[in-house]
Amino acid sequence: MFNSLKGLVVTLVSTMNGLRAPVTRQYPDSGNLLGKRDEPTPVKDRFMGFPALTWDDEVGEPFCTSCMVCIRGCPTQCMTSVMKDNPLHEQEKSSRRKIVDSFEINLNRCILCGICVEVCNFDAIVMSHEHEMSTSNRNGDRLDLPALLEIGFKFQKDTDWIPPTKRVKVPKGGAAEESKTPAEAESP
Amino acid sequence: MPATILLAISLGDFIWLVIALFIMFSALSGVVLSLTWLERKVLGRLQLRLGPTRTGPMGLMQPVADALKLILKEDIIPASSEKALFWVAPIIVVISAFMIWVTIPGTQNAVIQNLDLGLFYIIAFSVVGILGLVLAGWGSANKYGTLGGLRAAAQLISYEIPIIMVAISMAMLAQSLDLREIVNGQDDYIYFLIQPLGLALFFIAGLAEVGRTPFDIYFAESEIVGGPFVEYSGAHWSVFFLAEYINTFAIAALTVILFFGGWSGPGLTGDWGIIYFLLKVYLVIMVIFWIRGTFPRLRIDQLMAFAWKVMVPMSFLTIVMTAVYQFYGWPAWSLTAMSTTGLVVVGIVIYKKMTAPSKLVAETRSRRAALEAQRRLPATGGGD
Amino acid sequence: MTQTSENIVPNAEPVEMLLNMGPQHPSTHGVFRMVLWVDGEKIVDVVPHIGYLHRGSEKLCEGEQYNQVITLFDRMDYIANFNNEHVYVRAVEKLMGMEVSERSEYIRVILCELNRIASHMLFIATMGLDAGAMTPSMFCFRGRERIQGLFESVSGARMMHNYFRIGGLKEDVPDDFVAQVREVLELVKKDTEESDKLLSFNEIFLARLKNIAVMSAEDAIDYGLTGPCLRASGVDYDVRKAAPYSVYDRFDFDVPIGLDGDCWDRYYLRVQEVYQSIRIVEQALDQLPDGEVTSSLGRRLLRPPAGEVYVRGENPRGEIGVYLNSDGSDKPYRIKVRPPSFCNLSALRQMLKDSWIADSVVILGALDIVLGEVDR
Repeated sequence: MFNSLKGLVVTLVSTMNGLRAPVTRQYPDSGNLLGKRDEPTPVKDRFMGFPALTWDDEVGEPFCTSCMVCIRGCPTQCMTSVMKDNPLHEQEKSSRRKIVDSFEINLNRCILCGICVEVCNFDAIVMSHEHEMSTSNRNGDRLDLPALLEIGFKFQKDTDWIPPTKRVKVPKGGAAEESKTPAEAESP
Repeated sequence: MPATILLAISLGDFIWLVIALFIMFSALSGVVLSLTWLERKVLGRLQLRLGPTRTGPMGLMQPVADALKLILKEDIIPASSEKALFWVAPIIVVISAFMIWVTIPGTQNAVIQNLDLGLFYIIAFSVVGILGLVLAGWGSANKYGTLGGLRAAAQLISYEIPIIMVAISMAMLAQSLDLREIVNGQDDYIYFLIQPLGLALFFIAGLAEVGRTPFDIYFAESEIVGGPFVEYSGAHWSVFFLAEYINTFAIAALTVILFFGGWSGPGLTGDWGIIYFLLKVYLVIMVIFWIRGTFPRLRIDQLMAFAWKVMVPMSFLTIVMTAVYQFYGWPAWSLTAMSTTGLVVVGIVIYKKMTAPSKLVAETRSRRAALEAQRRLPATGGGD
Repeated sequence: MTQTSENIVPNAEPVEMLLNMGPQHPSTHGVFRMVLWVDGEKIVDVVPHIGYLHRGSEKLCEGEQYNQVITLFDRMDYIANFNNEHVYVRAVEKLMGMEVSERSEYIRVILCELNRIASHMLFIATMGLDAGAMTPSMFCFRGRERIQGLFESVSGARMMHNYFRIGGLKEDVPDDFVAQVREVLELVKKDTEESDKLLSFNEIFLARLKNIAVMSAEDAIDYGLTGPCLRASGVDYDVRKAAPYSVYDRFDFDVPIGLDGDCWDRYYLRVQEVYQSIRIVEQALDQLPDGEVTSSLGRRLLRPPAGEVYVRGENPRGEIGVYLNSDGSDKPYRIKVRPPSFCNLSALRQMLKDSWIADSVVILGALDIVLGEVDR
């Protein structure tokens, strides 16, 4: 009896809290039909969205050389790629001898484990922050090279991405050296 | 309404009656819409959620959107169901819910047809709805539905008795079964003050009568997945929904009329009293929502035991108290004292009944504490 | 499937009704199916059906490289991902005779205990829902969301983390990790206390759960129950204490045990375990050393020596065991998981017999099964 009454008090207090500051937020935007405020879904810096390919701005080509390491490391075999000779290398603009010709990720198969990023030797693939990608056609989530580069480029711009191999190693906690993720290095 | 009366009334009266019924239907539908919105919003805020927000400012158009969606939805009738019963069950439920409102007064004049035996009529009609639920459960040829229908029959009939008994004791206080007279009888003091036990019994039995938490046993979502309503969809389901909310509103209105002086209140006279009436009714409904947000659900055997072992004897007690009070013409405070004593007794009974497990828990905890103290004696290797 | 009452209940009186509960029932916690034989509102017998979520995880493990298997373990008990990853990476580390740095062990323990809290909060929420109380679930989900937000900032994913690596972690935790965890712990403690106050000692809740499905200690051991279901029956057995692994022997924590072995004990024990886990995390944060966390193996393909190991650990649901057989190649030859949910489920029939239909959902809820782990 008394505990039940105590429960009533708890819910009364929580109603007050709910009126003041509800915990949930509107998805994907707030407000109602009269006034809509667009707010992106907040994600953490390390958030792993769908994988995307990065763009080397200095040279003007993808980082990816289609070496197939990620494809072999992928637990779900969701990627395919084709390699070609790099035309820019012949013009001596690029140090990459081979370059990606086509690349496809089936995002319906992808399980967002991040192994492809971990094994990549060329900083060519990233886990972008893109995650709201539902489409209404059956093959809509099979992304090809331009689409992947576009998502990757957006991610690079949004987070001021630095290739992991070029990052300054920040000594931390005595002997420990640790490479920081791009977003973390930039965000306060 | 018997045919002889219909023949006796003039054409003008008849047209007026039709218009009044239409107004009642629309008003009740509006009330149901407001209640669905209110329930979702109140429960949302209680659970730190937002509740409906998309449709209109503060989601005010949500009930309309719901209603539209339900009407446009396909009305599925199971192949193996008893078609006629399946069809007629929701209609029985909703008609009995609407019929109650013919005689519930909003103010002295805001009533379709005031009956001298108003309270009797209401109680009689509220039982009819049970038939609809049982038919719905059985007619839908679903085992969950059958279980739910039978649960509904057991639960609602059991809790009808305390409601009747308390209503009788209130009628004895007012010396009338006419709801207007009952409200007028509360001019000096509202009956809640002299019969708190009656209020407690009436409110609890009312909750069970409309199947509100903690008595939402006959359609318990987590056990029998909606009970009698499990096979219903679209418009048919919305009719059940309508009836449920009208009944909730009716129970709240009856609580207000019997115990809180109906439309009487300081400042407002005449038909303006309806503001007080609605205010009180909505407050009672808010309490119902509040309870819904707090309590778990009882089990069917516990529910029945509670009805027959606590509610029924206590409701007889209210009649005895009121009768003694009326017969000897004692002052009002004596009934208050008696009733409060009764309430305390009920409280103690419930407390004893319900805290038996709680006591067990306390005992267990002390045993556990002793055990842990014992275990801690040989020091379990602590941190560095 | 044709089943008559005879082949389920031999020599039984003819029962009135067969009630099919699940796999699309709101309270069977996933795609679990119980065929109940009911006599009115009483349950006479029950036949559980599993396998609706069978994905062949164990077989899939044989086709994946060692570091890819971690992703599959994430998906077995999808409420306690870190705990599952932990037991698998420990198995491989034991097979390879590998030492793991102090810091990564501590971080693993912190994340595992936080995951235990999150898992138990989900349990409290669903227990309330099964009994018909809606609000505690919202309080608990608020706390769970906070923990998951923390996981997201550490591992990048809210549920399927793939964060533990054989020999260490994927990367070090963020700089403000300790402060974040402390902040979250405070809030989570408050959330738990709030739902505890609202639900645990509510008389109706007690009436629903107390003395329901009582299991004696002997029965519990005979059925192979582990974890909270075993401890609720009064058996003081916790792998973290009985066979301390990782750095669990450095923390001072109690193993709450129940005495009656009923549903309420199973519920309240988990509430208390939340507080104990908070204690462990606080101590681990105090002791958290500096150092390297990533494995010295780097990104090389792992080829553990041929052999077999069995490693066990304490999951939120009970004792999980991983049997790993290696033939020296880059893929495990065989992985067998002893899933706590599956073993706990074996006691369902005895618990459900002679109970009410309404009790069946709370009994199943108190067992706290995860179908992803039962079916694998």
